[in-house]
Amino acid sequence: MTSGATAPGQEAEHHAPPAQVDADIIAHELIATTTNASRKFKTIAWVLGIFGIIGIVALVLKFLDQGSDSTKWGYVAALVSFLLSITGGAPMVAMAPVMAKANWVRPVTRIASIFSFAGVVTIGMLIPLVAILPPLVTEGARRRTIWMEAPDYSPHIWSTLGLVLLFITGIMLFYSAALPDFAAMRNHSTGWRQSLGRVLARGWIGTDNQWRTLRMRIGMFGTFYFLILVFVNFLITTDFGQSMVPGWRDAIYPMYHTISSFQAGVAGIVIALWVARRQMNLHKYVHLDAFWSLGRLLFALTLLWVYFFYSSFIVFWYGRSANDIATLNLLVKGPMIYAFIAGTVLIWFVPWWILIWNKVRRGVNGMMIGAVIILIGLLLDRIRTFVPAWSVPPERIHEKWLTVIPETVYPSLFDILIMIGGISLAAMIVMLMTRVVPVLSVWQVQEFNLLAKPIKYVRGHATLVAKPD
Amino acid sequence: MQQRRELDQSYTNRKLLNGQLDTPKWWAPTVTGLGILVVIGLLVIAMMVNKGLGVTGLGRPVYWGLFITTFVFWVGISHAGIMISAILRLTQAEWRRPVTRAAELLTVFSLLTALVFPLIHAGRPWRIAYWITPYDIGRGIYPNIRSPLIMDPVAIGTYLTGSTLFLYIALLPDLGNLRDRTTGWQNAMYTVLSLGWRGNPRQWKMQTVGGILLSALMLPIFVSVHSIVSWDFAIAPAVEGWHSTIFAPYFVIGAVHSGVSAVVTMMALMRWLWKWDDFIRPEHFDALARLLIVVATGWMAFTFLELIFAVYGQDAPEIALREMQMFQWPWNLLFIIFLLTGYLIPVPMWLFKRVRTNIALMFWTSILVNIGMWLERFLIIVPGLARRTPFVYTWEAYRPSAVEWTIFIWSFCWVTFLMLLFSRFFPLVPLFEQKESQVFTEDVTIGRAKVPAIVREAD
Repeated sequence: MTSGATAPGQEAEHHAPPAQVDADIIAHELIATTTNASRKFKTIAWVLGIFGIIGIVALVLKFLDQGSDSTKWGYVAALVSFLLSITGGAPMVAMAPVMAKANWVRPVTRIASIFSFAGVVTIGMLIPLVAILPPLVTEGARRRTIWMEAPDYSPHIWSTLGLVLLFITGIMLFYSAALPDFAAMRNHSTGWRQSLGRVLARGWIGTDNQWRTLRMRIGMFGTFYFLILVFVNFLITTDFGQSMVPGWRDAIYPMYHTISSFQAGVAGIVIALWVARRQMNLHKYVHLDAFWSLGRLLFALTLLWVYFFYSSFIVFWYGRSANDIATLNLLVKGPMIYAFIAGTVLIWFVPWWILIWNKVRRGVNGMMIGAVIILIGLLLDRIRTFVPAWSVPPERIHEKWLTVIPETVYPSLFDILIMIGGISLAAMIVMLMTRVVPVLSVWQVQEFNLLAKPIKYVRGHATLVAKPD
Repeated sequence: MQQRRELDQSYTNRKLLNGQLDTPKWWAPTVTGLGILVVIGLLVIAMMVNKGLGVTGLGRPVYWGLFITTFVFWVGISHAGIMISAILRLTQAEWRRPVTRAAELLTVFSLLTALVFPLIHAGRPWRIAYWITPYDIGRGIYPNIRSPLIMDPVAIGTYLTGSTLFLYIALLPDLGNLRDRTTGWQNAMYTVLSLGWRGNPRQWKMQTVGGILLSALMLPIFVSVHSIVSWDFAIAPAVEGWHSTIFAPYFVIGAVHSGVSAVVTMMALMRWLWKWDDFIRPEHFDALARLLIVVATGWMAFTFLELIFAVYGQDAPEIALREMQMFQWPWNLLFIIFLLTGYLIPVPMWLFKRVRTNIALMFWTSILVNIGMWLERFLIIVPGLARRTPFVYTWEAYRPSAVEWTIFIWSFCWVTFLMLLFSRFFPLVPLFEQKESQVFTEDVTIGRAKVPAIVREAD
């Protein structure tokens, strides 16, 4: 398995110093990627778009048909959580290494920040859930909530606002980092792209002051984005998850969700990079070093996932209080046992076994397979927690703990169409954005080449990496 | 910012071996003073063992007090070594080089100290023989393998073994260096300890691979140790405030916070005492402070989650406990000091570069962090037991006795004593790391700017 995951030439390429390409050629070639869409690309975008429209129609029909029964909305809640994880996690994953001055991440940042745009699908899917989510107090009884004595519709308002704020901050982060590329489009592109570049570049000419401001903005929005992401994960997991189950009190769950969100973000970036490298012929710029570093990150996050899961599980398992037993019966042993087993195998065991091998992490295909498996596992894991949570009847939501474990809720045709549609729509938005801006950041690729020089060192090759303050 | 200086190898040898080849004047009186305090502490421990736990403030219902708090505290400090040495080695952080040895050393000595506390806390330390050789096995009396008394020593013992190996492997090149510069019994000692180190390519390769392998192997142990310690509390639903799923990562990140702060304290002392200004530079404090900002903020987020989910359950006993912990005298005072010293004072200060590169300020803020982190453990452990509950038939407030405070102070003297003793025979800053950093760093010219650069393997 491992030896087959790496093509024969790839290892040699990995050991070679990074390609030194002229800055003008980089600008020319990367801007050209926005215009030369292949027929395959267009077909896939159309298919995804059609699936997306079917998904939206299914969502509307489901709302009209089952809008009064919250127990039927678990799969939509799982989808919202899944989309939040990928579209919210990816930009952060790209930002953290930038702040740590990691050079390999420079060609990756654009593709990661484009995921923010797909956050609009998450907001769209959340709207019916907000309408269906029970208020904090029904018939005089108040359910367990982080909102304590706050107004009854606090979760509805603040979760929505949080998600919208995350979306806006993600766009701001993208835009802050894309300014020099808009200027490059203004100078090198034609037609509507040139006009768009002219408007969005806002007079960028690359003075020292502009560069300083740009870096400050990226740092500021990156920090702000991270804080909002953690906050939104906290809100969604508690208001749309834990709070729906009487007795489920799991302090680690928001962090567990956030960590798996980073894991999903890295997996999403790996798949997008694979597409950019293979389908858009960007071998020259998407260096294997990026896959190697992302592989290590993904491996670490996979281990972290199991650590967070186990930290929670062991406390319930050993605790054996009525709360603990009911929670385990609902989320692990009970109606979602198969989703739990399959999810754990796919999100942790299989990727762990794949990514542990250096040869896989140095390759492209093995990494892509690992990333796809992780995303399938993540979807199952979200189904494992959100579907049982929403399957608790509203009349039992205020109890001290769950006395009757609900039956397994299987997805209806609506649910399947909504899930396929939601994911397709998100993927289509990411694809379409690569028609608007270069899929790799022009200035960051240029900087990558400027700062990393191949040198001869003793009897071998090495890279001299400059680390400007 | 890079304050790298061109230092030739003989200067590096002379300066960094000044603890071994040219012992500073303050060393002997300081070690003697500390030795006296250590002996006093040992006598107090002996007295406590002789008289029994009645000489402590422990009593129904608070049986876990200052000793267990201090045990958790030292286990936390031990996380410095692996955080600094293993993680930063794996991530190739160049600034780690002068810090690694001190951090690894702190790990080993703080673990040794931590192990003392459960032992004396149990009251009859000679009964450790039952764990090691359960001679009553014929009568069906086994050690309870689910007991923290088994889990903790096993976890800590594994960590201690790994950390000692880690420290020793990194020490080998320096031992070879010392062997070649000493005579008499010292030469004999270094000859034995250096295991025939000659510095040939094969030895260097094995030493590097050994270090990287141990780094990767130690990481899961590093995480598991404090997780297991946290589960001593978290799997007990009977005590309010303890039964929380977040405890494992919360304890681990808290441990990293306190451990890295302790390294900052040590680095400042090393720079002042041995005059290693050329090696331990403001840029190292700057990097550590930046790391601490991230770690401390993560730790604060966990603290917030721990508190909010305690109240989230809306169980009356849990809420009563939190009210007591945060709003009732004297716990409220401790809680405020914990928040101020653990986060609210140091972290906003570290946001300013001027503070991050001021060694005196870094020294004092790192001490503040560890005051806060010790209080954090105390506030987790004691109030849950001390709260008056309906089914406790006797109840009294817990007030640590003079014996407990003496043993607590002894632990600090003991760790410092061991560190100073080590510094007499082994270098506290790894020489080979220092020389390697000279080789691997240089300046490159990009446009009009001179930018610091690092040589990386083209892996």
